[in-house]
Amino acid sequence: MTFDRDRHAEFEELISASLQGDLTADERRRLDGHLDTCPACRATLAAFSDQRRIMAGLRHVPVPRDLGARVRAGVEQREARRRWWQRPPAIFAGVGGGLAVVTGVLLALVLLGNPDDPEVGDASPTPIAPVTSATPIPTLPPLETPAATEPPASVAPSESVAPAPTATPVQASPEPDSYLAVTGPPDNQAMTLRDGTTRETLREVETPPGVPVAAELSPDGQWLAYIVDVGTGSGFTEIRATRIAEGVPSDEPGAPPPVDSPIAVGETAPLAESVGGNPFVEHLFWSSNSQYLAFTVVDRVEGGTDVWIFQPSTGVASRMTDLGNAYAGSWVPGGAGTSLLWISTAGERPESHLRMIHDSASDIAPTDLADSPFPAATDVFQPILSPNGALVIFWSGRMHESGEGWAFVEGGAPWLAENRQDGELGYRFESNRRLFTDVTVDRDAFTSAAIGWAPDSNTFVVWDAEWTGISQAAGTYPDQRRVYLGRASDPTHVTWRHALDVGDLPEDASVVDVKVAGTGRHLAVTARHPLAGLELPQADLLLITRNFDDVPDDVIDLEPDRDGWFGPAVYSASEWAELVGD
Amino acid sequence: MAVPGGASWVQPAVTGRAEDDREAAFARLFDEFSAPIFNYVLRMVSDADRAADITQDTFIKAYKKLDTVTDAAATRSWLYRIATNTAIDDMRRRRMVTPMRDDEPTFANRPDPRPGPEAEVMAGTLDERVQRALMTLRPNHRQCLLLSDLEDMSAMQIGEVMDLSYAAVRTLLCRARGEMRRALAAEGMVR
Repeated sequence: MTFDRDRHAEFEELISASLQGDLTADERRRLDGHLDTCPACRATLAAFSDQRRIMAGLRHVPVPRDLGARVRAGVEQREARRRWWQRPPAIFAGVGGGLAVVTGVLLALVLLGNPDDPEVGDASPTPIAPVTSATPIPTLPPLETPAATEPPASVAPSESVAPAPTATPVQASPEPDSYLAVTGPPDNQAMTLRDGTTRETLREVETPPGVPVAAELSPDGQWLAYIVDVGTGSGFTEIRATRIAEGVPSDEPGAPPPVDSPIAVGETAPLAESVGGNPFVEHLFWSSNSQYLAFTVVDRVEGGTDVWIFQPSTGVASRMTDLGNAYAGSWVPGGAGTSLLWISTAGERPESHLRMIHDSASDIAPTDLADSPFPAATDVFQPILSPNGALVIFWSGRMHESGEGWAFVEGGAPWLAENRQDGELGYRFESNRRLFTDVTVDRDAFTSAAIGWAPDSNTFVVWDAEWTGISQAAGTYPDQRRVYLGRASDPTHVTWRHALDVGDLPEDASVVDVKVAGTGRHLAVTARHPLAGLELPQADLLLITRNFDDVPDDVIDLEPDRDGWFGPAVYSASEWAELVGD
Repeated sequence: MAVPGGASWVQPAVTGRAEDDREAAFARLFDEFSAPIFNYVLRMVSDADRAADITQDTFIKAYKKLDTVTDAAATRSWLYRIATNTAIDDMRRRRMVTPMRDDEPTFANRPDPRPGPEAEVMAGTLDERVQRALMTLRPNHRQCLLLSDLEDMSAMQIGEVMDLSYAAVRTLLCRARGEMRRALAAEGMVR
């Protein structure tokens, strides 16, 4: 049965190519021979031919009469305008130039945990509630927002994940640990991993057939996993992991040895081919013990999504589900000998399921989520836990499948909750409240958005948020082109005031990736230049410092003088954990 | 200067000789391709105003990069690549995942101010169904299919536009045709 289907698929490709006269003589002979005996493929040929005829006969729509004048006006305007990245960053003017001075100023600004710190807001005249960014938050402030969803059903018992609060002032680096860079002439592009502070090359990485659009560092610092956008406009992606360092044994007595791997330092493991373009797909989840990477793979033929797991210890990526509508969520930290992963299934009403993996198991096979001993969490989609496991951001609402995969269409929105151990019963999401507190969702929806936590487990960032309803504030809000920086400890979480300043990003750039430092007020933003002609894709890596009240944010281009693709960046979660003594 | 579709390129009043050559080359490019590029983009985004904006941006970028075109034979692919990339940028900014509602204005059901015979009205209805089917496709499938069946490009030319290998284009195009077949069948248009 499978053989027959594969065989038809092979001839379907020949039938498709034959319509453009793109067959070799040998392929033509093979196809003709097959068509003589296969009515199904003859029907495909007829259908494809009809389709081509229909497409060729589409109505021709006249060009707007003023198009030429508009182009002329645009040409003249463009030549008069300086490019954004040719302007010096504002902070340089303030301190007289020099990156060392800039860095010094930034460090001086981030003495975290100081109760006298000014609030981090935007350049808006309206103040927001003061927060202290360095302290992990064990509970959320009360908020009179009715929960729209029941807490998810309970799951297996595990160790408590409530974080120990600390008031210890912490100083963390505002600059990312490292970042990826793709540079060089078109016929000789090279990808490197660079130091976020010195900009020096840390390691050469096997150059992928495209540019990286998402990246996550394993908690033990041994692995960098990333998603590569393959081929301009194709939508195809590849998921890869490069081993960038040896494991370092812990000094703590009884601590497990670092995870070893048959893949040597410097080598890259190709994990899967996929399709990008959806924030729910372009998300990589490392387990806290660095034993697993979970990710979502889109079938390039059928379009379905399934969850895959990469195990550094075996160097193998395995399919975890075979459902066609499954999406990876977070790992639940803690637990000895087992790991728990949230897997979500998209549908009219999405569900999330906890899947347990025994760490001693060498093979991972596709699982039937219905057989899971844990009850499903209804109306919960893609839970993203804070690094310390205390808080969770998840999605809820009605979903619909379109040409670009599953997205929310009615009542869809991200929610913030406490991730609580529930005695013998497992975990519950409690104190649910909307992430965007000033948006009335009703029958509209956020179709999707990209969301990430900072290492401090308090600050989070939202970008690429697509909103179907009318604007909820002056201008466009929520705005898919803006980046929103919020905090769990701030009762308003995200409002229009939490958007980064308009001037932080180039006018015509699009945000590819955002990471937030443990400081809670520094962001590393990968901003893609608009594509033009045969140019290679280019992106700037911008270090943005959120400023107070009416003071504009500070923006530094980490590679201001070079053409290329810079980003995404990564921050080390373990470094932060050491700093706060977590 | 009259051009197909009614648009015309407005040359600046004062130019030097090199500028004259550049302007003349661009005028030829605009005359030949403004209408097909506009229609290609229109089918990609299904919105006439956005298609006009994207076509405008396409030609502004092309004007700026005109000096980089050394191979006249590759000009068409080059221009379509700019248009494709510009449309992708636009779609990235407004990710088109929301299904079209019946009352949502599209270029196909937006009132057409020009008088026309009944046949044109009927064609518009057919057009609307095809466009609705197109919009259910993944964007890369839609691009590939439009370049092949609307613009009549070969797999090699589509590869130049989409930055894909010949083999990848053949695979992508076959998948796009399969997806479109199902979408058209849902519209009751093909077997």
